[in-house]
Amino acid sequence: MSSTYENVVEVRNLCKYFPIRAGLFGRVVGQVHAVENVSFSIKRGTTMGLVGESGCGKTTVGKTLLNLTPKTSGEVVFNGNTHLDQLRGKTLRDFRPKIQLIFQDPYSSLSPRLPVGEIIGEAVREHHLVPDNEFDAYVSRIMKACGLHDYQKDRYPHEFSGGQRQRICIARAIALNPDFIVCDEPVSALDVSIQAQIINLLEDLQKEFNLTYLFISHDLSVVQHISDTVGVMYLGNMVEYASKEEIFANPLHPYTKALFSAIPIPDPTVKMNRIILEGSIPSPANPPSGCKFHTRCRECRGVCSQKIPRTMDMGNGHRVACHIYDPESGYGEA
Amino acid sequence: MSENNSINNNEQLALDDGRRVKVLSPGMMVFKRFIRNKLAIAGIIILAFMFAFSFLGGLISPYRQDQVFYKIDSANKEFASAVVNTEYRFLTRDGSQLSTLVRANFSRVVKDAGDEGVSFEADGAAWSVQRLAEGFFGIGTAKQLGTVTLLGKIADVKADPGEEISDAVKDAALKAAKSGVDSFEVDGQSYMLTKGKAKSYTLGTVSEAALASLLNYDVHDSADTATVAAYAFRRAAELALRNGEKRFEADGAAYTLDAADEDSGVIYREGEDAPIATVSNVIVNPVTAGSFLAMDYKAAVAKAIDEKQTAFEYVNAEGETEKHTIRMRGNNYIVYTEQQTYLIDMYAAPSLSHPLGTDDHGMDVLTRLMYGGRISLMVGFVVMLLENLIGIIIGGVSGYFGGWVDTLLMRFVDLFNSIPYYPMMIIAGAIMDAFEVPPYTRIFLLMAIMGIMGWTGVARVVRGQILSLREQDFMVATEATGIRVSRRIFKHLVPNVMPLLIVQATMGLGGIILTEATLSFLGLGIKYPLASWGSIINAASNIYVMTNFWYIWIPAGVLIVLTVLGFNFVGDGLRDAFDPKMKR
Repeated sequence: MSSTYENVVEVRNLCKYFPIRAGLFGRVVGQVHAVENVSFSIKRGTTMGLVGESGCGKTTVGKTLLNLTPKTSGEVVFNGNTHLDQLRGKTLRDFRPKIQLIFQDPYSSLSPRLPVGEIIGEAVREHHLVPDNEFDAYVSRIMKACGLHDYQKDRYPHEFSGGQRQRICIARAIALNPDFIVCDEPVSALDVSIQAQIINLLEDLQKEFNLTYLFISHDLSVVQHISDTVGVMYLGNMVEYASKEEIFANPLHPYTKALFSAIPIPDPTVKMNRIILEGSIPSPANPPSGCKFHTRCRECRGVCSQKIPRTMDMGNGHRVACHIYDPESGYGEA
Repeated sequence: MSENNSINNNEQLALDDGRRVKVLSPGMMVFKRFIRNKLAIAGIIILAFMFAFSFLGGLISPYRQDQVFYKIDSANKEFASAVVNTEYRFLTRDGSQLSTLVRANFSRVVKDAGDEGVSFEADGAAWSVQRLAEGFFGIGTAKQLGTVTLLGKIADVKADPGEEISDAVKDAALKAAKSGVDSFEVDGQSYMLTKGKAKSYTLGTVSEAALASLLNYDVHDSADTATVAAYAFRRAAELALRNGEKRFEADGAAYTLDAADEDSGVIYREGEDAPIATVSNVIVNPVTAGSFLAMDYKAAVAKAIDEKQTAFEYVNAEGETEKHTIRMRGNNYIVYTEQQTYLIDMYAAPSLSHPLGTDDHGMDVLTRLMYGGRISLMVGFVVMLLENLIGIIIGGVSGYFGGWVDTLLMRFVDLFNSIPYYPMMIIAGAIMDAFEVPPYTRIFLLMAIMGIMGWTGVARVVRGQILSLREQDFMVATEATGIRVSRRIFKHLVPNVMPLLIVQATMGLGGIILTEATLSFLGLGIKYPLASWGSIINAASNIYVMTNFWYIWIPAGVLIVLTVLGFNFVGDGLRDAFDPKMKR
């Protein structure tokens, strides 16, 4: 299944709506627009950071990508030819090892009744990735690669610390020799020193196994450290997408600017120029009209509440969805 | 792996296996926590005892569970009833019946006049009563001959037209009239005077038509029935008996009389040894219909009653001496015999051979407790397994698939929960009674019904647990790593539901045993000759048994209480041991 196709994953106009049911018969009375028209692609061996506030749909993008929750519309293509939502049963299960997931919470993501070696190796055996006689050595090698010790194989998850558990999660994903891993806030539950260890581990593994990551996080400094490209999401929409260098040097979207201004600078003499956003994130079940950000945007003008902004390519693959940068939007006229 | 990763270079810092504190698997930790719980250990010991008692006890016990024990005991049985006859029996010369009116009048005049000869009118005829002996009367019909008039010094006897009265009769009649006697005899012929108007009497002849006697004649040989029933025989026999004569003649035959006293005796044909009839004023009847009492036995009873004895001995046909006692009950005497009989040893008190005595069927209570324990425990386990099997399947399907399947199955659970349990069980018990289901089949049906009625709780628990587990990240991870559904369910879901189920099942066992005991107590469950602890306690529903024979039902109650307590202790212990927050 391995492919040399440049983009490991391509996402086009991905939408995910969750129905709101009410009443005795569960009538659908509305939709939560969790993800709307999200498009991006990730090149082999690179990391894309996905940032945004809580509840903006980052995790939903990750899960929909892996078809763990079925998407509403749009297209997700792996290696240029595999549409996950078209696979069924055994073919789907056989493709699963290629794309893996690392969870935010290392405590609930490990079954408390299985020893660590079994947790890591279970799916390897299931998919017959290595011959049976090499199985133990393989699991040991993976554990070693993830900073775990051989003798810990027979221990149970409750005997490990949070950082070690996250290593187990990573080992479980790596063991399947995947092309692509969705890291769903893998370090947000860990303390800062452990965060660095895990981030370094992920980077090392990326080099060793030529992995591609979708790194979901609300921690901008982590994203800045690990990502090659960054997507910024707000209320289900991707408002800006660019390479790491480009977006951190020159954020265009007012939301991105506000978000990046919140990055703490470890220098007490520097005067921070923070952009404080008013109000809270609107309900995705009843999103604002036009540009979804217009209720909190400093640059908001009349057109913002009426027209949905187009995504404009500003060069170098820097895409932004804002009327300010769309000469045809009529933003400048008002 | 990169060389520069510091994490991988800490090999020397790792605790090697020798030094590190041994950390146990979840199962071992549960076990360790469990055995530290004193109550749980007490529960385990109780349950171990119960199982040994029930399953090994039945093998060790020398008795079968339905073995009935007997004892030889002398029982006072009612054997015969006797009554001293105070009602007159009538025998007419021509074999006809005396009318009720005549009998009633006879009884009245005999009572009023005592021994005196009296007369009365009934059925348009005149009757005279003549005392032949003590308690022996002749009843005569009168025919009118003439009139006797007594007016001062004028005394006259006037014959009716067509009748003749001899002088001797006239004299006797006047004499009788003057002295106020209303009957007299001349030349063997009885006459009677009936008082009329103003000092005049009607004179008539009297011919004896019937006898009134208090004695009862028992014929020894049915061939003699007619002889004994004859009028002349009776009259002669009774007169002889009453007058203390040893011999009498009737209808040309001679009889001898062996009299015990003036109202009882045995009659023989003269020169013969075999008695033909026994005469007595005591009537003896057997208590059981259709049985026959020997003549000499009847005589013995009569004799004892006459002599006002309360006990007598009787040598029966086999030559054995039987002891009989007589008790007065009302006007009757009841004769009891002491007989050695083979009796069911009911309600025997605790002894060495029966440590807890015997029950109302004469069965060993301890043995029945052992076999009953088998059934109680077996019902508990089978029903628990059945409940859990159905509950896990339905709850698991409901929780794992969710959606409309879940809704449908949970409404089905609601439906089952709204069936009233005990009325249902009572109806089921009645149906099984009606079809006369054999005891063993009945147990299986009972278990099936209890299981089918009881799985809903398990299903709810399993569904809830699986619903919450299904959303856990490690279940998402199994899907993301492409593990097949069966493995996901049995390797990841089930082991995580198991602890709760084990606790539930253990706690539920006590409840099931209680329910079975309740049903058996109510007579719906286990039926005789099989036993369960509940059906043994059922004996206490009889207040006499409850107050007098504690050893029949108290032990069964204690066993039920201990077993349920044991299951609850173990269940509590398991729950605490499975609880990961208990870090002991």
